[in-house]
Amino acid sequence: MSAPPLTRRQAALALLASAAALTSCDKPEEEIVPYVEQPDRVVPGVPMRFATTLTLNGYGRGVIATCFEGRPVKLEGNAAHPASLGGTDVFLEAAILSLYDPDRSRAVRQGLRIGALDNLVSALEPRLRGLEARGGEGLRILTGNVTSPTLLRLIGAVKARFPAMRWHAHEALGEENARAGAALAFGRPLSAMPRLDRAAVVVALDADPLGPGPDQPRHARGFAARRQARKAGGEGFSRLYAAEPVLSLTGAKADHRLPARPEEIAAVAAALAARLGLDVPAPELPGPARGFVEMAAADLAAHPGEALVLAGPWLPPDVQALVHAVNARLRAPVDYREPPVETPEPLSALVEDLRFRRADTLVVIGANPAHDSPAALGFAEALGRSQAFTLHLGPYFDETAALCRWHVPETHPLEGWGDARATDGTASVIQPLIRPIYDTRSAIWLLNLLLGDRDTGDRDAVRATWSAGRPAGEFEAWWRRVLHDGVVEASAAPVVTPPEPRLAPPAASTPGFTLLFRPDPSVWDGRYANNAWLQECPKPIIRQVWGNAVQIAPEEARALGLSAGDVSRLRLDGRVVEATVLLQGGMARGVAALTLGYGRRRAGAIGDGLGTDAYALRPADGSWSAAGLVLEATGRTAEILRPSDAHRIEAEEADLFPSLELAEFQRKAAGPPHEEEKLPTFYEPKNGDTYAWAMVIDSTLCIGCNACVIACQSENNVPIVGPEEIARGRDMHWLRIDTYELGPEENPRPGFQPVPCMHCETAPCEPVCPVAASVHDSEGLNVQVYNRCVGTRFCQANCPYKVRHFNYRGYADGQEYANLGAPGIAAQRNPEVTVRARGVMEKCTYCTQRISAARRAAEKEGRAIREGEVTTACQSACPSRAISFGDKRNPASAVAALRDEPQHHELLGHLNTRPRTTYLADVRNPRPEGGT
Amino acid sequence: MSGATEGLLPEDASYGSLVGTVADPLLRRKAGRLYWGFFAAAGLGTLVMVVSIAWLFIEGIGIWGVNTNVVWGFAIANFVWWLGIGHAGTFISAALLLTRQPWRAAINRFAEVMTLFAGSIAGLFPILHLGRPYRAYWLLPYPNTMDLWPQWRSALVWDCAAISTYLIFSLLFWWIGLIPDLATIRDRAQTRARQMIYGALALGWRGSARHWHLHDVLYRTMAAMALPLVVSVHSVVGMDFAASLMPGWQETIFPPYFVAGALFSGFGMVVVVAAIMRRGLGLEDVVTPRHFDAMAKIVLAGSVALWLAYGTEWFNAWYSGDPLERAHVAHLFTGPYAPAYLLQLFCNLVAPQLLWFPSMRRRIWVVVTVTLVLQLGMWLERILIIVNTLTHGQLPTTWALYVPTIWDWMLLGGTIAFFVLLFLCFARLLPAVAMHDLGKLLHERRTEG
Repeated sequence: MSAPPLTRRQAALALLASAAALTSCDKPEEEIVPYVEQPDRVVPGVPMRFATTLTLNGYGRGVIATCFEGRPVKLEGNAAHPASLGGTDVFLEAAILSLYDPDRSRAVRQGLRIGALDNLVSALEPRLRGLEARGGEGLRILTGNVTSPTLLRLIGAVKARFPAMRWHAHEALGEENARAGAALAFGRPLSAMPRLDRAAVVVALDADPLGPGPDQPRHARGFAARRQARKAGGEGFSRLYAAEPVLSLTGAKADHRLPARPEEIAAVAAALAARLGLDVPAPELPGPARGFVEMAAADLAAHPGEALVLAGPWLPPDVQALVHAVNARLRAPVDYREPPVETPEPLSALVEDLRFRRADTLVVIGANPAHDSPAALGFAEALGRSQAFTLHLGPYFDETAALCRWHVPETHPLEGWGDARATDGTASVIQPLIRPIYDTRSAIWLLNLLLGDRDTGDRDAVRATWSAGRPAGEFEAWWRRVLHDGVVEASAAPVVTPPEPRLAPPAASTPGFTLLFRPDPSVWDGRYANNAWLQECPKPIIRQVWGNAVQIAPEEARALGLSAGDVSRLRLDGRVVEATVLLQGGMARGVAALTLGYGRRRAGAIGDGLGTDAYALRPADGSWSAAGLVLEATGRTAEILRPSDAHRIEAEEADLFPSLELAEFQRKAAGPPHEEEKLPTFYEPKNGDTYAWAMVIDSTLCIGCNACVIACQSENNVPIVGPEEIARGRDMHWLRIDTYELGPEENPRPGFQPVPCMHCETAPCEPVCPVAASVHDSEGLNVQVYNRCVGTRFCQANCPYKVRHFNYRGYADGQEYANLGAPGIAAQRNPEVTVRARGVMEKCTYCTQRISAARRAAEKEGRAIREGEVTTACQSACPSRAISFGDKRNPASAVAALRDEPQHHELLGHLNTRPRTTYLADVRNPRPEGGT
Repeated sequence: MSGATEGLLPEDASYGSLVGTVADPLLRRKAGRLYWGFFAAAGLGTLVMVVSIAWLFIEGIGIWGVNTNVVWGFAIANFVWWLGIGHAGTFISAALLLTRQPWRAAINRFAEVMTLFAGSIAGLFPILHLGRPYRAYWLLPYPNTMDLWPQWRSALVWDCAAISTYLIFSLLFWWIGLIPDLATIRDRAQTRARQMIYGALALGWRGSARHWHLHDVLYRTMAAMALPLVVSVHSVVGMDFAASLMPGWQETIFPPYFVAGALFSGFGMVVVVAAIMRRGLGLEDVVTPRHFDAMAKIVLAGSVALWLAYGTEWFNAWYSGDPLERAHVAHLFTGPYAPAYLLQLFCNLVAPQLLWFPSMRRRIWVVVTVTLVLQLGMWLERILIIVNTLTHGQLPTTWALYVPTIWDWMLLGGTIAFFVLLFLCFARLLPAVAMHDLGKLLHERRTEG
């Protein structure tokens, strides 16, 4: 027997998966045979956790999936994986909903009609034989960014069979500028990984390491490592400078921020380089920029080896190269790695070939350029007119699929085998947690089909990749360890010492009213458009949901005669779209920003027709900015949906979001420990001799990324309400991120305050409930008894924090938005958490089901729950570890220590609610010598 | 006492003519076209109410404008408003009886009916407003298998108790006051069916001296018991807000302020009803400008009380120095609902000042206009108390707007139509004025004179 026998674990998995496939969705038509012998390790009701990998832009990020009876319901970060480190981002958290998306493609299509896979195969095979005879001339493969060793191996094999085949890759949010910049500086496109955890001074030039992207969790953790304001000290508190045209999460957390137009940023980079002694001409800078450069240069120079300059992926290659030179001068903590050996060709070449009929067979794997390539490039048009044999493999019957002759539904990464590398090259294996819900195929299957191999399974293909070069005897043990750990040990690409970078002074660019394209924090490049959790997640800073809008500075809007909510016409090079105007302080003058990924036409019931398609305006070369924008009013207005606005802190409201400078913090920390005065109460809370659960959230560390919001939604079956209900002012997020604007109005520094339930010891919601549905438990949790609630809503009326959410409709129970009532969606629900009915109040429970699970485990072993044994979903998701949870009565617990920190405070503590959720104030580290 | 009863009865009144004035519309006169026109309109409006309640039960309270932060809206405002209107009847019967105000005799009957109708409509709202109205009985203390009592600290439980007590008591009080008149109608009825029905309702009243004596004792005793109830019911409603933590609600003045406001709006509604009844049933002889003068004085007193209440709220916000309270008052005058608030101040504080002038008080249309205006003002007061606080809570990130939907308006309009419909039925089925009280009044005048 050539295939190795199944391990017990795999056998269990397979059995589970098949059982789940039968039970997970609709009422099964077949008779289900129950377990005759219960599989080993499967205990009904006890979840199992498996490591696997999900990708963003092709880069792997490790996750741990929790499965109930073979049904994955929750994803969390894999601490062993360097791109996750245990934290997640919104895309990882929301992937589980996409698995059960009722709009997923589930049938082979021939044109727009449902086709048969056999017909496809029989049509393809003679064509492949013909191609083989021609050496593959005319065969094209189009993918996204591919890091998967197995896919790369198979693409190599396809290339071996069809030597003239050409492979194109397209990512809407690609790294072309960074690669070109590195190539300019070092002669080859080395990939650069900044190490925020080793930087004392960071200057981000239009860079957003804390913003959405494949490495957001990694960078957030690195940033947090150097922003620990603790009495006990810790590594030096870093200082963050940001110069950027659009207020990003990095800019929000910066100690000094300069709103600057793109060409000003190039000038700032040149000025920094000149100040640090590089041989570039120092440009003339306007006043604020000069001050910024003075301070940043002084700080950078004072921290050799710990100073870091970052260039965003949207900066032009010459600025990137200049920044490499500056970093070399500073001996900056940047890990350089060799680029992949083979680089695929760009999409533009394929468009040419399609147009001139040089491509007669096109296989699209997982990419959707008919939506996410610049309209100016004309891909969709070329594809539509092409006579070529076109085959699309993708999870949705999307814009590209509709233009192809054949479409094959693609397996979700949680359903199939595969592998992927992280940005640092660390490899990990993708293993299925459930048998494919629909009759879908994977990229491995398709590439094998191109090779004429219809027998090798996906798992065997992945094993074949990894068993090569390993002694046969050791492979099984190694393989099991890799699957268990979710990461291939020591597989990161080696860090290389880059050659001395060449200096490339940036070319002057043409100023003018510039439109900037940015990734969307909710839908990324559009691929997550049909994910309702992401659509309803308020985007960081601007708080918008269910759409995008063109952002401009308020002063800019006044100059243009526009106001917030106006529908404006964006005109660029003869291309026109309409977008709603959103005013955002901190934007540079003379720029407008629009996120990519909206305006989907074939995303599904959730994502269709939302927002403005920025690809329609993007220049054909896929650049991140375009000068010459004309923005004019149409005279119409539209509502920008925002569950809550950012609030500008006035002086008398400072205690809502206290903020202090590092020096002040250190003075407080050195002083006597602060005693928090307890206001008197008639109802002294009774604390039994048991746990006292408490949560501390560090505003200094919170980067406002929303991972906790989606994690909570996923863990606690929090329903989606839909855009109409949002417009009515309703939403269900148990955890929201309140955004406060600090600093000057034209250059605000937002502060983020995640607000779950405060679990007040003297909770105002409890005495007002007439039926005792809002009650306290012995461990200090303020609990809501759903089936006792009659829905007077007095609790929320009286809650000063307004953290309760009322089911005005049956959001999860018969009146779901769009297709969210489809039976398949129910499979995602966490069986440990009640799905709430219409007419009841709900709120954060501190993940009481997790506390309960830990208590059961502890009681079985006759011990107390250990510190760290309970992690709430938000805490587990937080990439910067801003959330701590534990027993505050245990003096050794993290929360007890944090509650003693000098910057510890209660939200609205003067109301004597005695909240169990408390905060550490936002500590910033501006240069003591002063400046902007 | 001749001064006290002056102008309340026609000079040539006799027992027979008084009874005829009241009972004839009921038994002898046919309803006119105008009546049936109003009846049809009110019926249609009631249908609107029924439809909006039905849709509410089908779709849930999501059809209303309430949202995550503003969890209370029209339903609670309507409840407080209707209950305020339902305040005057029992007060008129009880307090004015105990203080021997002779003018109450002509108006107490329909004022009490107004109390019953308005109170019942008010009682609907807290139930309709529930997320799960079919569980409303959980607010009542009853033995159950779950072994659960209501949560006694909640003002809502006391609210529920106070309203149901008030309603039941008002019903009994009204019925007992009605018994002699039911007997009169029974005696004058021309059809067998009427004789039977009125006879059954009259509980065998024969008008013996013993009957009269017992009736008088019982009625006065109940009046004495009713008075605390009048105060308690709206105090508890005030407590719904006052026993909270929200700026603008957490005010000790709320219970007396709510009672004063309730009397104010209740008397206002009595004026309106009296004017309509007087015209519609031809009661000009027994409901005279003198009555309107007396009620206008009470309305004026209510307005002065509201001046005091509003003033106290503003002064205390400033004097306490609490930034939240100050921000709340600033929000009243400058927030998104400021125009409505200013209109409320005009309706409740400014317009009634017209009633200082005796000549205005004697002009029925002036008094009626002022009281209609103050109904609007009081309704605005109730909705703004709710909305201004909930849209502007402690955390600025939770500030929101409240916009009512068509269903909110339909339910409010529908209940007003229902109220009118009930009154139209009442006018044709029961004596609109307490005939025996008028008789007593006449008797007093004759013995005095």
